[in-house]
Order: sequence, then C-alpha cells, then structure tokens
Amino acid sequence: MDIFAYLEGMAAQHGPSGQEARVAEWLSERFRPLCDSVTIDALYNVIAVKKATLPTPDGSPAPKVMLCAHQDEIALMVADILPDGTLRMGSVGGVDPRILPAATVTVHATGEGQSRALTGVVGALPPHLMSAQDRERNYTRDELFVDLCMAPEKVKKLVRIGDLITLQGPAVRLLNHRAASKTMDDRSCVGCLLLAAERLQKMQHMCDLYFVCSSQEEVGGRGAAVAAYTVDPDLAVVLDVTFAPTPQCPPDTTCPLDTPAVTYGPYVQHRLLERLKQTAKENGMKLSGEHAERWTGTDADDVQIARSGIPCVLISLPVKYMHTTVELLDMDTLSECGRLLALFLAGIDEKWEDGLWN
Amino acid sequence: MELSRLCEMQGISGREELVRMAIFRECAEVLGEENVKIDRVGNVIAHKACAKADAPRVMVAAHMDEVGLMVINAADDGLLQVRNIGGIDPRVLVSKRVKVGYDVPARDGKPAQEALSGVIGAMAIHLQSAADRKNVLPIENLYVDIGAKDKDEALAKAPEGTPVTFDTPSSPIGDGCLLCKAGDDRVGCYNLLRLLHAEVTCDTWFAFTCQEEVGSRGAYGAAFRIQPDVALILEGTTANDAGDPDETQKVCRLGKGVAVSFMDKASMAQPELFAEMMKLAEGSGIAHQVKMAVAGGNDSGPAQRAGCGAKVCVLSVPCRYIHSPSTVLCLEDVEAQYLLAKAYLTR
Repeated sequence: MDIFAYLEGMAAQHGPSGQEARVAEWLSERFRPLCDSVTIDALYNVIAVKKATLPTPDGSPAPKVMLCAHQDEIALMVADILPDGTLRMGSVGGVDPRILPAATVTVHATGEGQSRALTGVVGALPPHLMSAQDRERNYTRDELFVDLCMAPEKVKKLVRIGDLITLQGPAVRLLNHRAASKTMDDRSCVGCLLLAAERLQKMQHMCDLYFVCSSQEEVGGRGAAVAAYTVDPDLAVVLDVTFAPTPQCPPDTTCPLDTPAVTYGPYVQHRLLERLKQTAKENGMKLSGEHAERWTGTDADDVQIARSGIPCVLISLPVKYMHTTVELLDMDTLSECGRLLALFLAGIDEKWEDGLWN
Repeated sequence: MELSRLCEMQGISGREELVRMAIFRECAEVLGEENVKIDRVGNVIAHKACAKADAPRVMVAAHMDEVGLMVINAADDGLLQVRNIGGIDPRVLVSKRVKVGYDVPARDGKPAQEALSGVIGAMAIHLQSAADRKNVLPIENLYVDIGAKDKDEALAKAPEGTPVTFDTPSSPIGDGCLLCKAGDDRVGCYNLLRLLHAEVTCDTWFAFTCQEEVGSRGAYGAAFRIQPDVALILEGTTANDAGDPDETQKVCRLGKGVAVSFMDKASMAQPELFAEMMKLAEGSGIAHQVKMAVAGGNDSGPAQRAGCGAKVCVLSVPCRYIHSPSTVLCLEDVEAQYLLAKAYLTR
C-alpha cells in the first residue's frame, strides 16, 4: 500500500462522529480485496472479516481477534444562522477553538432536501477593532463564525441548523517520510489495519480476524462497544494515536514520533502486552511506552468491558498536534505499527489464553 | 495574468523577486521593454505616454508584496522559528499549512527549486491548561514543522532568512467570490496589469511597488521618481462586514463595489479628486462605496508627500480575513476597481 496515497485519500473524506456513512463506504472498498467479507452495521462500524488460514492443531474453534481503530473525526455543526447569513458553530467532539480562525471548512448543507458540500471560511472580529486586552486572549467558539460568502436569503435556503461542518486539512508530504493532515486521529491507524491485512495475505494465521473501523469514538467509544458485542471476540487489539512531543507539552505526556508505543495500565491485559512486546523484540522492533492509570481515552475502554469482558492491548501511533488539521506523523512508524500487528496476529494460536491470568 | 495565479505567487516584503519578474515581463510585452524599469528598491515602473500635450502625470500604484513569515532559527528538535513580515495576528497561524522557500522555475542554467511544505501546529487540546486555552500563542511560541529531525537538518533545508508563505490554492467560494492568500494586494497588481492596455489620456506611470506591508518602503522611491500630479492607489482593504458586527464597525462591504477612501491612516484624499471619483463612478454606473473607517495605511502616504506633493485617492477592493491564509474578495468589486481607475485614466 502506498501510505501517502492512502493518507491523501482518507484526509479527503468527511466522517464526523455519528455521520460516518460515506467514510465507511470508502474504507470498506479498501478492505474488500484483503478480506473474506465486509459489512457496515447500524452505527456505521465497518467490520471486515479475514478467516483463519491454518487449522488449530487440536481442532478447537479458531480464536477470534478484533482489531479496532476509529474512522470518525471531530467536527462542528451549525448552531445558528445569523441575520447576515454567517453561521455560529457548535462542537461535535473536542475541536480546539484555537485552530479555527481563518480555517477553511466544509458545510454539509441539507436544505431543500438535497445534500451539498459548501466551502466556508471561519472569520472573527479583526484585531485592530478589538481592545488591547481582547487581543491577548484566544477567540472562543461563540465569537467565531463560518462565512459561506453568499447572500443571507440563499444561506437560509440551503443550510439547516444542525448541519455538520467538517474541517479541511489535505495531506502534505514533509521531510523524512513524515506527513501531516487532518484525521490522522485515527484514520492513520485504520491504515495500520490495512497494512496488517495486506501483510497477512502472505502469512498464515490460526485466528479469525475482525478488522473494525469504529464509529463515534470522539464522543465516547460507542461504535466500538457495539462492534465488540457483535463480533464477540476472544481478545482485541485497539489502535489509536498518542501525543508526540511538541513545544510546551507537560513532561511525561508524550512518546517519540519514530517509535510505536504501547500502554501500561489496568485497562490493558498485562500478559497480552508482554506477548506483544515479545513479538516486537523477536523482530527487532523498538517500542516506547505510555501509561494510563485509568481510562486510556480510546476504544479500549469500551471494548474491555463488552459482553463478559475482552482482554485488550493498545498500540499507539504517536502524532504531533493532535486535534488540529495538521496532525503530523512518521509514515515509517505507521508502517511499523502495521508490521507489529501482523506479526502479533500470526503468533496467536489456540493456546493464546494460557498463562494470561496467573 | 489571472488573478488566481497572481495570488498563488510567492512574494513576502523584501522578497518580491518572483512577482517582480512576472510583472516586469508582462509590462515589457505590452509597453515595450524601453518603457519598463526596475528601480533600486525593487519596484517595477512602467510608463505609457499619451498624445495630449500638457497631460497631467498620473501614478497608478499597487503593491506586489504580501504578508508572510521569515525563518530566524531552528530549535534542537528541528522546528523552525519564524517571525512575521508584515502584520499577522498570530491567532490565524495555528493549524495552517505553509510553503517554506519559493517554487522557482529553472532559469539561466540554474535548476528549478521547489518549496518545502510545512505546518504550524500547537499543543493538543487534551494537554492544555486553562491558561493555555485562554492566552494567545505569540509568534515566539509558534513553529513551522517541515519534518526535519534536528536543528542542523532544519537549517540546511531552510536557512535563516528563508521566506515562508501561506499555502492556499486560489479557489472560487460562494457566489462570485475568490478564496486566496495575498489578495492584498495582488488584486491591485492584477488590475494595474489590465490597465496597461487602456487608451490613456494622461501621462500614465504604473508603479508596482514593493515592501508596502512593512512601511511602504517601495512607494517612496517610486513616487520620488515619478513626481506625479495625481496618484491613484489600488489596494485591498479590510471589510469587516461579516459575522453581524455593529454597523459602526463595518469598514466596507463585499459585493458593493470599489471602496473609495476619503481618509486613512496614511493620507487624506484630495477633496476635488475624491469628488471627481464619486462623480465618475456615478456617471458610468460603476458600483462604488465610501470606505467607512479611517483605518489602514498604504502607499498613498509616500505618494502624497513625494517631492512637492501630489493629489491622492485610494481605490480599494474590500477583503474579508485580510492578512490571513484565507482572504475572501468579490470578483465584481475587482471589476469595479478596474473600471473606475480606467474611467479616470481615459476620461
């Protein structure tokens, strides 16, 4: 897979939490050639199944492994239409208002029973008309507006309150195999799933694989909870992005950009984590670590407690500038995450649970 | 040249070479090379005489430069430290794409150069303190990330002094508007280039000036050389008409025509010239408005005070989100600016 081409493609998709239908279709097409079946469920989770290619030696059923990365993105919505036709914004997921001034956005307008993608610019009162004190503070979301550069009558015809607004952030290629775009959180990790599925075409595996592109993660792991119920896996690997170092970051909150990371903490099954680390070690891969004393802030939080409980590990891909439209990562690290996942899955056999709980 | 292409060209104040050469070539093509000059501050000055004896000397000016950033150093982690060239509110920089260095076509045996892509990030919202959320990140704490691994690599790729511009492809937006960077003042350059073809009835001097955004440095020399009787400045100016501001805060309105200034922070329009502009616009049915605020300075200041003085008037295209990566202007206003300047030069 050409990783940059994938990133360009995924960054051109719009899939705010709860409205993932189109991005789900696009991702389904990527999984279809690599899997035995692909379905989209009621919450727009994409579930792509690749059956075991090796029988278990004792004839027991193949272990079921769920691999999960989320496809939804943080977004905004139309909260109000002002008399001059500009739009006030509400938030869908954690959008940092600092990234908004002069940003370009797509308003997914639904007026007149039609869907239209309209480009808008986020405007604000210019600084020379603000008090010196107000120039020293960031704009709040309710001071900003989206300008569609149309007459108010036309805006009122085309746009409805509640229409979704997504951020524009096309992928750019940087030095050292790095790239930046919107929605690296978490479609870059969906890319890791695709890379793993691709590698596994040439490997043998004893487990049934359920690749899940989950929905509604940014508003609370809802898609993953449902997908984990549906799939009913024996164990799960969740992939999400984590923080790579940037200026002014508090200490102990970041992982280096050039290394996949794993998470230590109670929501992660520690023996499964040891196995993952062993896989990395045997294959000469470096891993860094982060910690989560309680929730991990990822789909793992919901998958762990689905049905009667599912042991999870969490692989993290470090990203700079998270929740901006210039989320930046190292494509070699992305590739390594895919390789690690494939190797880990190829090593799962019918004895996967031995020693897990003692 | 197309307006969208002119806006995409890179040229921060003091580094207008790409815009300058493109404009020089077009002027030379239209008026003959003998009538075009690049002066010693970097302006392009083109002359078009008219048959009429004792015709007044008229300077029409637009500035070639745009606001941008300049690399001053790199941090140990390979992030470029930058400072703004011209007025940029640091709040519009967070989460934006930029071009580091210029895209230079192959020329005179030198190979083509390609600009690097860069991004301006900021700490993730999850890690921000309450104070981080509130306080503006000053330019000192904003960095351009080109993906360099360390300081040495960063400075090898983008040495001190490297110009940085917004990475904004020009595109249509809304009803008859253009989304672009550098609309201020490539729009003026665009109309000035169109005016080269006008059948002028005055002794016309076209001045494509440099360094307007850092104090109209180019306009001093241009106006001194030309010694005009009258100077018309074609500008882009802030509109502040969107987002339902108070009526009193609006400067001019997009789509309502060319904005004629009676006064700004650099100059006062000569009253008879101002009245003549209004009359010309009314008489020819050219959409126009009066700029409602005494705000902004431009090349009219140096033009008014050059030599023994000149009558000046500023004709502006209203721009929303000026000096940001996402300037919006209305194409009908662009046309109105052209028509009014042309009406004066050919009256």
